[in-house]
Amino acid sequence: MPVDIAERLRALPPGSAVALKLDPREYADHYFAVLNATLRDVGSETEVHTIYMTVTNPAAFVWSLAQALDVPSDRISFVDAISHIMMNYADPLPNATYIDSPRALEEIMLRIEYLIKKFPHPRTIVVVDSVNALAIHNPPELLSEFFHILLNSLKSRQVITLVLETNEEEATPVEQMLNLVVDETIDIARGGR
Amino acid sequence: MEEPTEPPAPAVVPGNGGLMGPATVLERCATGIEGVDNILSGGIPRGNMVLVAGSVGTGKTTLSLEFLVRGAERGERSLFISVTEASDKLMQNLSTFEFFRSDLVLNGSLVFVDLPVVYDRLGLEHEELLPDEIDILIRTIRDLVRSLGAKRLVLDSLTSVGYRIRRDERIRDFMLRLGQALSDEGCTALLVSEVSPTPGRYSLHGVEEAIVDGVILLWNTRRQGDILRVLQVVKMRGTAHSRAQYVMELTPIGILLAPHLKGGRGEGA
Ligand SMILES: Nc1ncnc2c1ncn2[C@@H]1O[C@H](COP(=O)(O)OP(=O)(O)OP(=O)(O)O)[C@@H](O)[C@H]1O
Ligand SMILES: [Mg+2]
Repeated sequence: MPVDIAERLRALPPGSAVALKLDPREYADHYFAVLNATLRDVGSETEVHTIYMTVTNPAAFVWSLAQALDVPSDRISFVDAISHIMMNYADPLPNATYIDSPRALEEIMLRIEYLIKKFPHPRTIVVVDSVNALAIHNPPELLSEFFHILLNSLKSRQVITLVLETNEEEATPVEQMLNLVVDETIDIARGGR
Repeated sequence: MEEPTEPPAPAVVPGNGGLMGPATVLERCATGIEGVDNILSGGIPRGNMVLVAGSVGTGKTTLSLEFLVRGAERGERSLFISVTEASDKLMQNLSTFEFFRSDLVLNGSLVFVDLPVVYDRLGLEHEELLPDEIDILIRTIRDLVRSLGAKRLVLDSLTSVGYRIRRDERIRDFMLRLGQALSDEGCTALLVSEVSPTPGRYSLHGVEEAIVDGVILLWNTRRQGDILRVLQVVKMRGTAHSRAQYVMELTPIGILLAPHLKGGRGEGA
């Protein structure tokens, strides 16, 4: 199991953008390791506000995992862009904001900005979960434009952005673009090295 | 009433706008709406008169009011001249926004005036305003701005005043003189124009957009069944500005803007 992801996250200077690469063959382990590191180890530090944008799983699912990890609820907010289209919206979380569709990319940017401004904290971390899920719903040119604008805007606000990415056999155009915009890549399979 | 605490700033300061920047940069009236100030590279050149044009429910009043609230917060006294909606009802609607602060109204830095009441007091009762009545109207607004020391003004809406100034040459004259009076007072103004979207026409008479210093356009567009609000600055004298389209959201903490993504599909995607 990777041990030093949290250490690497703590060492990031404000405004960093990082790709977290998960191996599809060990997806569940890696996903849990990422949640552990981001939400529990780093996210529960007092100065940190985490904005977790999810398209992969409904916020309620991520939140249930987070609760199992004893993550405090007052410093994590969700932007959920999947529950609506999965008809999974019956029981909305109080700390989540819901977007009609993962195609509403501008809306995603606006909600993240809203949460940053609404809950000012010394350290804000935005998690984007994930490139692959967004790519199912959006054409690559649009997604590249989205990431380019989002990451630059978060950088200028001194926000740390963590982009989850499941390694494909071959790098997709969006991944190639991401590699250009992020400051570093953490490969979960290599224990964060 | 307290005097607004505005530091005296030079009308013209040395420019440092990069390679393509102008030799001099006009003093800005930062709208205080971050997204709009980014588009306008800092704000509206002070003293400009700007048309805020859009069809019903596109957010013209909200944008204008936030402009005034942000100004009042910065110590610039702000004046809202309401024609279409009674101002007490307006303030009620406003109170649903967190960015609205009623203390600004109470301490006199944000002032609401109902134009119909003004018409009454001045005895301007003709359906069609005659030239000397238009004169009185301009002087009244100027005196109001001067006596309050207002640095920001909103007229909501120019269209409804335009209905009472029926002829093109009179609306042109009204606007030229109003613009001059306001800019003499260093007052930056937003004039709301209620138009149904026809390309290239932003006002009731069709002459207004040529006279104003700037045009901010608001409209609704559809994407996959959702309605998006879009904002675009089509003109702003005295500054470089983005002419791109932005998606606008009216949130409790104020207006937020994000670039309208095109995804390499160009215009009209
Ligand atoms: N508290 C609020 N939060 C978010 N949106 C709101 C709020 N209050 C009103 N709105 C939205 O703003 C819209 C109206 O905005 P606004 O009055 O600024 O538009 P307008 O262009 O001035 O409209 P009109 O042409 O009717 O004068 C409403 O239809 C509603 O969708
Ligand atoms: Mg209105």
